[in-house]
Amino acid sequence: MIFDKRLVKDFDKTLLALVFIICIGGLFILYSATQVKNLPFVESYIFRQISWIALAAVLLLVMINISYQKFIDISYALYAINVTLLALVLILGRERLGAQRWFAIGDFAFQPSEFTKISFILVLASIIGSKRVDLRYARALILPLISLAVPFVLVLLQPDLGTALLLIPIFFVMMYVGGARVKHLVILALSGLAAMPFFWHFLRDYQKQRLLVFLNPNVDPLGAGYTIIQSKIAVGSGGLIGKGWLAGTQNQLNFLPERHTDFIFSVIGEEWGLFGALVLILLFFLIVSRSLDIAGSTNDMYGKLVAVGIVTLLTLQVVINIAMTIGFMPVVGIPLPLVSYGGSSMLTSFIAIALLLNIGMRRSRF
Amino acid sequence: MREKSLFQPIRLLFIILALALIYTQVIRCGYYSKLSKDNAIRIIPIEGPRGAIFDRKGVLLVSDRISFNVAVVYQELMNREKLIRLLVNTLEIERKDVENAIEKAAGRPYAPAAIADDIGRDKAFILEEEGFDVRGLVIQTRPMRDYLYKNTAAHILGYLSEISEAELEIGKKYGYRAKDLIGRDGIEKYYDSYLSGVDGGIQIQVDNRGRLVRTLGMKEPVSGKNLHLTIDIDLQSVCDKALEDKRGAIIVMDPNTGEVLALASSPGFDPNVFVRPEGSAERVRLVKDKKLFPLLDRAISGIYQPGSVFKIVVAMTALDMNRIGRQTRFNCTGSFILGTGKFACWKEGGHGEQNVVDALMNSCNVFFYNAGRALGIDNIEAGAKRFGFGKATGIDLPNEVKGIVPGRSWKRIVKKDSWYEGDTVNLAIGQGYILATPIQVLEMISIVANNGKRVKPYIVKRIDNSDVTPAPRHDLNFSKNAMKCVRDGLYKVVNAENGTGKRARPEGVAVGGKTGTAENPGGITHAWFSGFAPIENAKLSLVVFLEHGGKGGMEPSEIAKEIFTAAKSKGYL
Repeated sequence: MIFDKRLVKDFDKTLLALVFIICIGGLFILYSATQVKNLPFVESYIFRQISWIALAAVLLLVMINISYQKFIDISYALYAINVTLLALVLILGRERLGAQRWFAIGDFAFQPSEFTKISFILVLASIIGSKRVDLRYARALILPLISLAVPFVLVLLQPDLGTALLLIPIFFVMMYVGGARVKHLVILALSGLAAMPFFWHFLRDYQKQRLLVFLNPNVDPLGAGYTIIQSKIAVGSGGLIGKGWLAGTQNQLNFLPERHTDFIFSVIGEEWGLFGALVLILLFFLIVSRSLDIAGSTNDMYGKLVAVGIVTLLTLQVVINIAMTIGFMPVVGIPLPLVSYGGSSMLTSFIAIALLLNIGMRRSRF
Repeated sequence: MREKSLFQPIRLLFIILALALIYTQVIRCGYYSKLSKDNAIRIIPIEGPRGAIFDRKGVLLVSDRISFNVAVVYQELMNREKLIRLLVNTLEIERKDVENAIEKAAGRPYAPAAIADDIGRDKAFILEEEGFDVRGLVIQTRPMRDYLYKNTAAHILGYLSEISEAELEIGKKYGYRAKDLIGRDGIEKYYDSYLSGVDGGIQIQVDNRGRLVRTLGMKEPVSGKNLHLTIDIDLQSVCDKALEDKRGAIIVMDPNTGEVLALASSPGFDPNVFVRPEGSAERVRLVKDKKLFPLLDRAISGIYQPGSVFKIVVAMTALDMNRIGRQTRFNCTGSFILGTGKFACWKEGGHGEQNVVDALMNSCNVFFYNAGRALGIDNIEAGAKRFGFGKATGIDLPNEVKGIVPGRSWKRIVKKDSWYEGDTVNLAIGQGYILATPIQVLEMISIVANNGKRVKPYIVKRIDNSDVTPAPRHDLNFSKNAMKCVRDGLYKVVNAENGTGKRARPEGVAVGGKTGTAENPGGITHAWFSGFAPIENAKLSLVVFLEHGGKGGMEPSEIAKEIFTAAKSKGYL
């Protein structure tokens, strides 16, 4: 594969470097969170995570060789496949923690809702970017809304409230950047809010419980509230510089459930303290702001839309995940990008980064 | 170019996130650090064993033995059904009880919750063996108070029970903790601060299941002090046995030192039921029994009319004040007329002419009616107080009561009435308003036994290795003549052919004493015998009291003989 000179010049090496710094830091903290004595390396979480990162890096390399326009072109197909998988996972998927999100493929669990975020961004960019709709008219909102509603409902049914709710701000930001009238978006948002009590009835018991626990974790300190209480204790007791790597008592003594996946940030907060936590969110902020630069630097509407969609996705994942570990947001199943253990999440994050790099590389073409 | 406007809100989100982290990790750090430590650090208390109690010869009476208790740790439970079946089969308990206990354990899932206490060594070993693969089953050991002689000496030893919440408030600063056992009566209560150990503990780090990760520190528990009593457990057993199926009290003491050799009260109880889980029904019965009051120590907390044993006080006081002499005689015709009232002697037809020695021997009421009138109420009152009536003896046992010595002012204050001559006559034979504890009667007889000295009775001789100093003796300075007359009378009570206390006469030792048969509102008379031996240089004094026991010359005297005989065979006489 030979890159055009211009492609090399506009390749954002800093962005890629930031991604790998976070990944490596994440591996250290994952090691601390999952170390088990006498477990062979190949069976450890850390080995699996490294494998996923390697696989994701290869995927990234392949993807940046293909113009992102190609992905826009096949976005309807990707979207259709993804929606089908979402439907299938409801019928065939494996249940874990009261939710049906996974396909078991051999040893690996595959979670189609993770990829939904990307396929939705691509298809929405495709819809808005094409000249078929003129967003100045209210009726033009119908097709984008349908593209949102289908995966939203399917993901909600799994039920994966976190991921489903993530799609909504992505939709609004992309519509806004795509030129929709603010008045229309506000009306849409307000009618959505008005429908919320209606949605309460669709929530599973454990989701209602989580929301109630968010309001007061002590209602059920040993049940639903346990995780959030222990997580707050972990982060809070970390203090300024933390208890040291491998030395967090909340982590090492097993008080933190789910600490290698959604609650990995609790381990960072406990062992590396405020210092480590601020470095991490600074790194994420740099990634997000560079991505926003990419969105601003391209003249291609499709590229711009995909970039802002991904910026919104990454920002919200980071902010929601961290805020929930310190009790500032309800517990919704959203992993910390590039850090939480999990193949689907890692691949999705790398695909998002690959698309950003891709758009940045090809910005001068247009 | 709407994407440019996204930068500010995104930056704002990150800034808010950073502020939230600063709040959590800096401002709230102390709070969460404490919670984190509480999570992971536990103190496992180790009880300091309670001191043991020995008798005067070093025989062990009370000690702590190891008991085995079964508990479950809820969060470790894996195979609940198997655990339940194992417990039901091994311990032979109701399935429902086990299930209820497990449900309760869910409230504090990390802490071991009790299922059954004191299951016995054998069953504990069976459970350890068969339950090795049943997770969540814990066998704990803790010291349990063991009263080796059960009912014998129960009122001296007392019993233990869990500290109440109110007591805990006060006791906290002295190191008492919830669920601690504290002394409720007897020696266990009076010497609680010596007997109770200081709990130690191990500080450990635990994981989320409460399992030990590492030990951080240890504070050794301190054992309580051992007590050595003045009691002779063999003599005590004789006394307790003599009271079996009766109501009453017996006290045996060395009249020269105040060392109590035996102190029995009946009906009694087994102190073990207060510390053993299976004793709960018996416990309730003991506490609720408002007819027999088995927990009441009649020897020091029961008050009764002393009856004729009180004549010793009247005789001694009258002689000491020269209101009568050895040869002073009163004629007993069988009754005594005072104004319009008629006071009877117990013997119909009367005793005839009596001097003080004969009157004591015959327990002639008429003589003492006269002697009492000769003294007057104020002198009798003072005399009774001189002998220790109306005041606690100060024995080292809780709940001693002081009884009543009536007098003019007492009657005015309590009965709102003036003192009548009839009251004096009644008091002179130990009837009427006067109420005394058996130990006060013993105190009185001991003063005669040791020629006029008051000693303070005591029960604990030695605490660990330091001897308890007995209270100094107090000479009451009775005249030689008074003492001689009374002692001659008391000798004749037991040793004369027709002495009222002749049934108390043992083989081979000369006993002096006095019987008492006290009228009381309860119907059947209270029966007393109080005496000492040998008559010269007495080594032993005793009181036998039977509540509604009939005549003092009958059963109490016979019991006294039995005790004197036993004491002689044990070398005390």
